[in-house]
Parts: sequence; C-alpha cells; structure tokens
Amino acid sequence: MAVAHTPSVPWFGATLKEWLFTTDHKKVGMLYLVTSLLYFIVAGIFGLIIRYEQSAPGIQLPSLFGQTGADLYNYILTGHGAVILLWWAVNVWVGGFANILVPLMIGAKDVAFPRLNAFGYWSFFGASVLVLLTLLPNNWIKMLWTGYPPYSLNENAGSTILYVTIVLLYGISSTAGSVNMVTTIVSLRAKGLGWTKLNLFVHSIMAASLINLFGVPALMGAVLLLFTDKYLGTNFYNPMLGGDPLLYQNLLWFYSHPVVYIMILPAFGVFSEVISTMSRKPIFGYISMMLAIYAIAVVGFFTWIHHMFVSGVPDWIRVLFSYTTLFVAVPTGIKIFNWVATLHRGAIRYNTPMLFTLGGILMFLIGGLTGIPNAMVSIDLGISDSLFVVGHFHYVLGMALTFGAFSGMYYWYPKIIGRMYSETLGKLSFWLMLIGANIFYFFQMYMGMAEGMPRRYPDYPPIPEWITLMQIQTVGAVILSVGILLSLINWIKSLRGPKAEDNPWKSPSLEWTMTDTPVGPHNFKKYPIEVPEDWHPYAYYKGYHVHV
Amino acid sequence: MRYMLLPLILPLTHVLASEPLAYPRVYWENSVKVWLVVAIAIYILVAIPSIYFAIKYRYRPGQHEEGEHIEGNTALEIVWTVIPTIIVLFLGTYSFANFVKQRNAPEGAMELKVTAFMWGWEVEYPNGKKIFAFFNPDGFTAPEDQKVYIPAGKPVKVYLTSRDVIHSFFVHPARITEDAVPGRITHTWFQINKPGEYFVFCREYCGTWHSHMFAILKVVPEGEFNRWLGVTTQ
Repeated sequence: MAVAHTPSVPWFGATLKEWLFTTDHKKVGMLYLVTSLLYFIVAGIFGLIIRYEQSAPGIQLPSLFGQTGADLYNYILTGHGAVILLWWAVNVWVGGFANILVPLMIGAKDVAFPRLNAFGYWSFFGASVLVLLTLLPNNWIKMLWTGYPPYSLNENAGSTILYVTIVLLYGISSTAGSVNMVTTIVSLRAKGLGWTKLNLFVHSIMAASLINLFGVPALMGAVLLLFTDKYLGTNFYNPMLGGDPLLYQNLLWFYSHPVVYIMILPAFGVFSEVISTMSRKPIFGYISMMLAIYAIAVVGFFTWIHHMFVSGVPDWIRVLFSYTTLFVAVPTGIKIFNWVATLHRGAIRYNTPMLFTLGGILMFLIGGLTGIPNAMVSIDLGISDSLFVVGHFHYVLGMALTFGAFSGMYYWYPKIIGRMYSETLGKLSFWLMLIGANIFYFFQMYMGMAEGMPRRYPDYPPIPEWITLMQIQTVGAVILSVGILLSLINWIKSLRGPKAEDNPWKSPSLEWTMTDTPVGPHNFKKYPIEVPEDWHPYAYYKGYHVHV
Repeated sequence: MRYMLLPLILPLTHVLASEPLAYPRVYWENSVKVWLVVAIAIYILVAIPSIYFAIKYRYRPGQHEEGEHIEGNTALEIVWTVIPTIIVLFLGTYSFANFVKQRNAPEGAMELKVTAFMWGWEVEYPNGKKIFAFFNPDGFTAPEDQKVYIPAGKPVKVYLTSRDVIHSFFVHPARITEDAVPGRITHTWFQINKPGEYFVFCREYCGTWHSHMFAILKVVPEGEFNRWLGVTTQ
C-alpha cells in the first residue's frame, strides 16, 4: 500500500475496499470495536425492554407471530445475555482494544498473523449477521445464551442449529484472535522489552488469550454435540438413551466461568494503566500485579462447578469447588489493594478516564464481595438462579467491565482518534452511570437475597414490595442508559473535536511516546524500537522519554 | 454506599428474633450473616484509605504535580495475600458446616417424590396420593386441589427428578434449591413451622411458562394434614 499523508482521522480516509480487505491491526481492531459497540447498544435496548416487562406484574409484552408475550421476553432475554457477553464483554477487549493497542505497546508494526486477524474478524462478523437472523420470528432463540439440554433440544427453545452455528463462528473468531495475540506478544516485542517491562494491559490480554485457547474447545465441543444430538441422532445429552444433561453443563461452564476473566482481566489492565498514569506513580507492586493476573487465569479453571451447586452433583464436589472458587478472591484482592496503594502519595488527576477507572474499581469491589456468597455453597443453595446472582454479575460484567472499557475509550481516544473528547460530557456520563448502576443492581441483589425472587421471570407474584423494588430498578436502568448515551454522543461529537496533543497524559508508555497522533499506518516513527535499560511503562519519576 | 447495605441487615435481624420460620433456612441465614459482616468490613477497610488518599493526594498545580516513586512493598504484599487466604478458608469452612445440615434431612422426615415437567409439578406422598400442580398462565394462584399440603413443624425430604428438561425446585420460605434433572434423582429437605401458604418456584429456565411453574405449599397443623392425607385412602 502506498504511503499517503495520514489524515487527522485516518478511519474516515479509508475506502470501503480498504475496510473490507484490511489486515492492519488498527483497522481490524476498529472493526471489532465498532461492531461490539453497536451490539452493546442493541443489548442495552433489549435490557430496557426487560425492565419494561418487569416493572409490573403480568405479561406486558404482546403476543406476536403466534408466540406468547412470555416467549418474546425469553427471546429478548436470550439476546440481551448472549450479545452483552460475547459481543461486548469479550470482543470489546480481545477483538477491539487488544488489536489496536497491543502492537503499539510492544513496539510492533502489526500483529503476528495479519491475515488470520482479518479472518477472525469476519468470522465474528458472520456470527453477528446470524444473530440478526434471530430477529425473524421463526428464528427466535429462546434457550438463553447457555443453551442447556434437554431444553435446547426442545422445540420450545427455538432454532438449535442457528444457536450452534453462531457459537461455532464465535469460537473460530476467538481462537484465531487468541493465537494471534499470544504469538504477537511472545514474538514481536521490541528489543529490551522484557516480561517485567510490559504494560499490565498487555499481560491481561496475554492471560485472556490463554484462557480462550484452553477454554474455547470445551465450548465448541459442547455445542457440536448439541448439534449431533438434535440432528444426527446421537444421544450424548439424552438421559432416556444413556446420555447425561450435566455433561453439557460441565463442558459449558469449564469455559464459561473462565470466560468471566477474559472479560474482566483487560478491564483490570485498563485500571492499572489509568490509575498509574493519573496518579503519576508506578503501579504499586508491579510483579505481584502481574502474577495476580495469571493466578486469576489459572484458578479460574478450577471453579466451574459453582455454577452447578444445585444441579445434583455429589456433595463433596460442591464443597471442593466452594473452596477453589473462594480462592479467586485472593489474587483479586491483591489487585484491589495494589490499586489503592498506587493512589497513596500520588498526584491524582480527576479526568474522565480516571473517574471511570475509580468507579470501575468500586463496582468491582462490590461485585467481588457479592461473588463470595455465590461461592459459599451453603448460601448458594438459597440464592442460585435468583436476582441476587443477576445483580452480582452485572456489577462485575455489566459495570466494572463497562467502566473499564469506557475508561479505556476516553484514555486512548486522543491517541487513536487524534481528537480530544469533551470532559464535561464525559464526567456527566460517568456520574449518571455510577448512580444509575448502583440503584439498579443493588436493589436487584436485594430482591434476590432478601426476597428470594427468581431470575428469568417476565411475570411475578403481585407482592407490593416486589413491585416497588422492580420499579426502583427500572429508574436506575433509565439513569444508567442516559449516562451511556452521553458517552456515545461524546465519542461521535468529538470526531470533530479539538486536535489532541501528542501525549496529553504524559505517559512513558510506548504508544504515547513513539507514535504520531493519531497513530500512522506504520505505527512508530522509526524502527527498530529499542527501549532504554531504565525505561518502564510506569516510570513517571524520570519524566517521560520521547525517542524520535 | 454503606448506608444502602442497611436494608439487607434489618430483615435478617428481624427474622432471627422469632422462632425460625423454616429450615434449612436458618443455616442459610447463618452463612449470609457471616458473609455480610466480612463483606462490609472489607468494604470499609478498602473505602476509608481510598477516600483518604483520593482527597489528600489530589493533583494541585504548582504544588503537587508528581507522585512519589514507590514501586511496592513486599511485606505489605505478603500481609494482603495471607490475610485474605485465611478469611477465604474461614468462610469456606463455615459454609461447609452449614452445608452439611442443609444436605442431610433429619431422621424420620416424611418423604415426597416430586417429578417436574413443562410446566408443573407432580407430588407423590408416602401413601401413593398424588397432587398435580399445573402452571397457571393467568396469575399466581392455584385451585385447592392443586395445593401441596405439608404438615407444620415436620421435616420433609423431597426426591426430585424431571420428565423432560431440567427444572429447579426452590422452596421459597426455606431458601433451599435443588435441580430436578431428567435421568437423575436428586434430593433436598425442608421444614416450615408456621401454617400458611408459601411458594415453590421453578428456578431453572425451562421455556415459555417458566415463571408460572410454581406450586403453593399449604402448611397446616399435623392433625389436619393427617386427615387430609388419610381421607383419600379410606
């Protein structure tokens, strides 16, 4: 490709053909990111529909296309869950941020396998298109994102083959992306960039990619057997003919609990980048922070039975996994304490990325502390599949993750887009999101714990306190939605915002010090990249180094 | 944020002040209380220094523009690794002690066989009497002959299975859940001390009428229960 003058916002200068055939990691990352954001919006709208339904007893949604309002709710619920988890929570990071940032943080020109990278995106795009097909009434998928048999083999559940195909394409994309990231980080680091000199964001992407590589095969295996059971006459999950429905749950959760860490570890990576930069201090305990990332990834694979504490597994297994699940609290606790310690004697700037990072850490603290009862098997027997679980995982995956993604969007927006966002809109968005989310999910947890309300219910007994609590949640959801909308507006409006300076945060990290603003086609201003012996991505005390 | 936790504490305190409404709810509540105390303590322990640092170490142009170069502290790292590990072991063990009680029905418990189906419950009593609790798409009430009679103050052991897909038997007043899995027999137990009507909900998603797959437990004094159970056999 001919080297052209880099426009201020390079994305707008690219032709459609360039977008379709690009192998440039920044463009591939942007494709993932925009797709992810669009589906995030759809999932948010589905979420508001859920709130509309739950704001009063009775079935609010209409009967359509020969299906009941309850069926419509179940489709919306399935769509909300699957899209928020696999399109937003995973691919905003492993597809989006990682693609754009990892080569820039390690001094590379691109990812190790640019064509594989593009292939991964288009598999993801294929899954995205198939998801749109579920909008057709005959194709409603109502088996939740989890797809448990025997229900998922039942006609009431909707199209099994569509579900299976979507998951397989997602798995292909995840595997391609992860192979690429691991190889890139291992092989393409600039000279002098040892493992203890990497940005923690890079370590978090490495850990997330390794989790994907170990976990995705179990998910793909699980859904492949679903396909053969339904269409080819095998009976892996059919208990009437010797199969076992719990086999599916074991395979699914073996991947799907660690996938939680694929979703949250990159948010932790962003928190570390932003809190360190905006406190003007090295991240406290870099080595223990790095090790905690990998400890979480490893321990995460020994916890999956906690999703099955009431499934009929033997009692001793429930107790064993109760302990292993609780142990995740130790490395995650280390991260919380180290972030707080990073603030100590810092010089803290309260700009929008920092607010979202601090808010995200707060949400994760609450999400983590409320994760403990789900791991204590004696409590889980009373709260499994209640609204408490829903509130808990929305604190972590809905909010800590989303605050991390928004913090990252604001932090790197000047470098990637080349423009400054509006601080006013950013801060307003932050406060609305923080307040709205806490109203929404706190009372959701309260309903599940104190009231025992089950989840996945479009209708519920007309108990006055339940109605009030449901309506409070809806108020919180609306406030949260307005906050999210303000950020989306901010990012769109700021495409024409004031030009960003090269390194507005005065960070020593490579992506801030050695690239153009916005980043040019070849990433760095000169090659080869060599980092000084005394350099570190969080070495603010040395002043920042610009190597031109 | 802390004040919002109060609504969670008060109801639990109130319940424990009187005779326990139900078992094994008591064991669940024991664990919830311990978890809540630990969670609030940790929350405060993190929140106080965070807020203090956030205020004290704010950037001030000209006066306070750079943070100090502090890379870590090994002793501190050890402290906040070992102490959480101890807390985790304590919580796990406390939970285990309560779990044993939740999983083992007292001797002499009445045994019910419950078969779940889309979308209802078939309940079989020791003498062979059966009750069918079918879903009601129009609300959360049940005809009298679909109510599941239970003797007040007596333990009930429930064996569960399913005729079609996975369902989950949640005894709302007892705060106990166990899945009904086709091809397996699972079990749980409960005891409700106060006569009245209570919900059983299905907690495992099972399709269109999942939210209406409930049963009403009609808890009556033992004598009344025996008459209800016995009349049919005569």
